[in-house]
Amino acid sequence: MRFRAKIVDLACLNHFSRVINTIAKLAKTCALRLTVSKLYFILSDKVANGGVSMWCELCQGNFFDEFQMEGVAAEHNEIYLELVPENLSRALKTAQNAKAVKIKLTNKHCPCLRVAVELPSLSSSSRMVTHDIPVGVIPRRLWNDFREPSVPDFDVSIYLPVLKTMKSVLERMKNLSNSIVIEANSSGEMNLKIETDLVSVTTHFKDLGNPPWASEDGCQSSAQSRDLESMAEARIDIKKLLQLLAGQQVNPTKALCNIVSKRIVHFILLHEDVSLQYFIPALA
Amino acid sequence: CILHCFLSLLVFGRAIHAIARISDEFSFDPIEKGLALRSVNSSRSAYAYVFFSSMFFQHYCWTAVSQPCQKEKQLSLPCKLIIKSVLPVFRCVNVLERNVEKCSIYTNINDHHVTFQLLCKYGVVKTYNLTCQECDPLQAVFAKHMCPNILKVHSRLLADIMIHFPTSQEEVTLSVTPMKVCFKSYTEEDTDFSKTMLTEIQLNPDEFDYFQVGVDSEVTFCLKELRGLLAFSEATSVPVSIHFDISGKPIAFSIEDMVLEASFILATLSDVEKETASQQPPDFSQRQERKPPWDGSAPNSKPAKPVSLLAKQEIKSIPRVMMREVTGMEGTAMTEAEGHAMLGGEAREHCKDFKVAKASEIINLQILHHVVSYFYKHCIFQFHSLFFGAVSCKEQDAISHTFHSLATASDTEEDFGNMQSSQV
Repeated sequence: MRFRAKIVDLACLNHFSRVINTIAKLAKTCALRLTVSKLYFILSDKVANGGVSMWCELCQGNFFDEFQMEGVAAEHNEIYLELVPENLSRALKTAQNAKAVKIKLTNKHCPCLRVAVELPSLSSSSRMVTHDIPVGVIPRRLWNDFREPSVPDFDVSIYLPVLKTMKSVLERMKNLSNSIVIEANSSGEMNLKIETDLVSVTTHFKDLGNPPWASEDGCQSSAQSRDLESMAEARIDIKKLLQLLAGQQVNPTKALCNIVSKRIVHFILLHEDVSLQYFIPALA
Repeated sequence: CILHCFLSLLVFGRAIHAIARISDEFSFDPIEKGLALRSVNSSRSAYAYVFFSSMFFQHYCWTAVSQPCQKEKQLSLPCKLIIKSVLPVFRCVNVLERNVEKCSIYTNINDHHVTFQLLCKYGVVKTYNLTCQECDPLQAVFAKHMCPNILKVHSRLLADIMIHFPTSQEEVTLSVTPMKVCFKSYTEEDTDFSKTMLTEIQLNPDEFDYFQVGVDSEVTFCLKELRGLLAFSEATSVPVSIHFDISGKPIAFSIEDMVLEASFILATLSDVEKETASQQPPDFSQRQERKPPWDGSAPNSKPAKPVSLLAKQEIKSIPRVMMREVTGMEGTAMTEAEGHAMLGGEAREHCKDFKVAKASEIINLQILHHVVSYFYKHCIFQFHSLFFGAVSCKEQDAISHTFHSLATASDTEEDFGNMQSSQV
């Protein structure tokens, strides 16, 4: 099992750091899956996470100048590691003006991702900062836990409002209630509702637009035949939704959510070279 | 009554913040030449000294006060201030200079008051009246010029290095050879590598303004205590000098210019087993065996145990060592002590980390081995027992042996009981 990668371009480095920062805000520990062409940050839906799951996919070619990996075996040319993304975020934080950043999988005292940052210095030779981030190697028998989630059979799919606006609305709502109801219809309308003994607050969004999903099979037609005005809703934990929005440092190119009434809300945030999917289950 | 006014609020404020990282209280000691601030942390593993010469202030007026009961004219009357009461004066130090036009400090020793008065914009006057107590501060004696290793570097560089370590990082190891300098997270045998992120920074000697390595060494010190000094020295833009020796001997970070000087002396973890060996450069390729000064294999190896022993001990007053120059054993004779000790028995309450507790022993010895020799002259054996637990008061061996005594001292109740009975 070998892994070695290098980033030389500062813009790529900053972009990669931002992705890592986002992941760090969403998960305390997660799995990192490495394949020849892609990196995946995966959080599987365990009870410990509150049923939340995450799937983040990056094309390595968009970030790394060099990328070599050798998986556990020839027919399974992939590596699955468990790590604390905050550590990686921290290691990259002070590499803002680095000449180069190399990431390597090593095993000195224990398996580690070694992040070596070459920084410019006043002297002839560069300053080298090395961070050894401990990782756990996830054995092949557990790889099934980290399969790509399929898009659920949703009732409504709708584009999200401007994330900044949504975030500030939720920030205020979180002080009043722990859970929030997201409801939306296929006419581009979305409501965020909270209800307590004393007060209920609803924020209405209009003209959001509904993404066109190609009907691959019969399942999707249920969404199409549905009454355009009728709302699909789910009650979810407000803090988890805020975590997702707070972690967004850059506005995504596309942001949408798929609501399965009373079951789950599936968020998809697409940037140029990163896609992030986040599942928040509905509360009982 | 003594009046001072400020030249640079930011620098003074940062000095207070730096000292705040060392201890909850500090001694405020105006003398003819200027104002000295000193602080020692409760586990004696860090000592801070900041001296502002009278030229630092726009106006500095000092009057000697002589006490009839002292044998010699008291050239200074230091008082002890609580950091918590002084910090609010210098809160938001960065904006202070913009809003404050003038800051004055008045001390009235007879009244036991120190007053800080800030004349701010729009005619606002903030007056802080703080009570102080008389104290006999401990001065660290550290022969900087005798250190084989000296590095001098601009504070910006040091800050750029330390920023790579997380703010929670307690201890950092500085490793030098004539060819390279390396700062790394401290690890020991029982570090859980699978849970700890380790950081290492390698530098070329070229990066330093002055680089002298007489002895290859690897010293581990507490980073938290240093961060305050880094911010302070950045405000002054004076380069920082680092004086150190082999592991176990203290490391001093100091800055000095025409109007101020500061020294932060930190204990370093001692490599006890290698203490007896002659000064050979330690072999870095093998893991150093570090035996904690306290018996780590005791069933209750938590530092809480020795703490309570120390706390139970009667706190004797620590006589002041009147050493104006940091030149080793020279200095005037001590005055017989009265009053309360500045250093309390809460020894390790806020050194919860066992690793820091281990480091703590070292500076004791460095500060005190000069001091202790004076004590032997004055036969103050109970002082010896305060810090060395079960060490026999009859031992008048050379200092190197006290290292050993400390390493093997047991913390059992019996020893403690023996000590109690032998106290004067």
